[in-house]
Amino acid sequence: MIAEPRPRAAEPTPEAPAPAAPIVQVRDLRMRYGDAEPVIDGLSLAVGDGQVVSLIGPSGSGKSTVLRAIAGLHSPAGGAVELGVAPGETGFLFQDDALLPWRTARQNVALGLRLHGRAAAQALAEADGWLDRLGLAGLGGRYPRQLSGGQRKRVALAQVLALKPRLLLMDEPFASLDAIVRHHVTEDLLAWVERERIAVLLVTHDLEEAQAISDVVYLLSRGPRARIAGRYEVAIPRPRDLIAARGHPSFAPLLARIWDDLSAEVGPVGAGA
Amino acid sequence: MSGLLQRRWIRQTLALTALVLLWELLSRAGVIDPFYMPPPSRVAVTLYQLFAGGEIWKHIAATFTAALLGLVGGLLIGALLGFGAAMIPPIADLLEPVMILLNAIPRVILAPLFIIWFGIGIGSKVALSLVLVAVLVFFSVYSGIREVDPRLVERVKTLGGGRGTLLREVYIPSVTAWVMGSLKVAVGFAFTGAVVGEFVASSRGLGYLLSFAQSTYNAAQTLALILIIMGFVLLLFTLAGRVERWLLHWRYA
Repeated sequence: MIAEPRPRAAEPTPEAPAPAAPIVQVRDLRMRYGDAEPVIDGLSLAVGDGQVVSLIGPSGSGKSTVLRAIAGLHSPAGGAVELGVAPGETGFLFQDDALLPWRTARQNVALGLRLHGRAAAQALAEADGWLDRLGLAGLGGRYPRQLSGGQRKRVALAQVLALKPRLLLMDEPFASLDAIVRHHVTEDLLAWVERERIAVLLVTHDLEEAQAISDVVYLLSRGPRARIAGRYEVAIPRPRDLIAARGHPSFAPLLARIWDDLSAEVGPVGAGA
Repeated sequence: MSGLLQRRWIRQTLALTALVLLWELLSRAGVIDPFYMPPPSRVAVTLYQLFAGGEIWKHIAATFTAALLGLVGGLLIGALLGFGAAMIPPIADLLEPVMILLNAIPRVILAPLFIIWFGIGIGSKVALSLVLVAVLVFFSVYSGIREVDPRLVERVKTLGGGRGTLLREVYIPSVTAWVMGSLKVAVGFAFTGAVVGEFVASSRGLGYLLSFAQSTYNAAQTLALILIIMGFVLLLFTLAGRVERWLLHWRYA
């Protein structure tokens, strides 16, 4: 079942007015693998221009599947995904860094630029600039295996940001990093996203992180046939500081609310999630 | 002295020297029959005579040429078929059973057939060597492509890469790593093919000399020839190792 694309103005989200020009509009999405019961069924969400949106939910609820549908890596079985950006304006940051092991850091960054039409020499020069900006000056000649986990993540980030995306899709990109490195990488990314007004859809299982960086948090219900079970606006002003945001008066009450709803979704035996 | 013994190659060299000396002594003392097991000194003299006469070079050249042609041809054909099978399913349907069969049998049993087909000249040796190598390379390329990390493929796709980019940036480098892993084995196979082919029927080559030495019960010459073949295979192993380090420099950097 493919839903008819409707005019945007006529479709405000239930809890809050839709942002003026959504970059991502997902309506009644259904996703299934093979003949199995749909993983996702009837899911709708929106990401506004320059908005940071998180998608959280129980393990195995299909968060990544939603992201893959939006990225065009997996075709929906029903519903519609509408993007307000050109395909080249979407950046995708994977859970694992997935850098080409046979290319140096700068060659990895330059690859995306070359695929976006830059000449080889210019692509490499721009790649060096991006590596500098992300705190990797002088490491451009190294191969991924010669870099630490945090450094590899920064290379992957440079690879994506260098393409000047208007939309960034991220699937638990920093899950494998230790807490301190993770904090710094997230902070750098947040600063960049706020400055460049990049729209972000982040899939994560880290509730606090989701709330600290997002404008809107969506809660996915337990699968199969997962859908949106809750939508929460985070009223913390920008630019944000990851630590200070957690101290904002609205932070703890909202966290408790989302936590209760998430616990209800996971159910009484979901402690292992 | 104890400092020197800490080095592995020194310990290995000492052990080898001791073994050779022991062999020499036992052979001279008549404990082992020199007819079957000639002392190392006699093998060394035979080796010297083989090279001093100059005759040996044409045999070395024959074996080397056959092995190298078989190696290069086998690499090319194996890689081409492997790529074809991995990319085009109907080709895989046709090739896979044949390759599995060829892989299961000891391929040197094809030697007599190749001699009937291609004669006792170099053609039959190249053919045997090529088949040995090609089957090996086919499987490493075929499985190499199918086991390419799907995350890398997805990554390049989301960066905007098409089929050409995927082939150049992901498939070929990834498969190169697999093929390099079997390059040393392929070198060994190439020599096996050439020498066995010569052994079965030929008028030159190290395999031919081996067959001749064996038929005259010349153990010293047999051992000398084995040493020559080992030397050349080791030389090629070193070269293959260099090629591997050069092509896979990202792994050793």
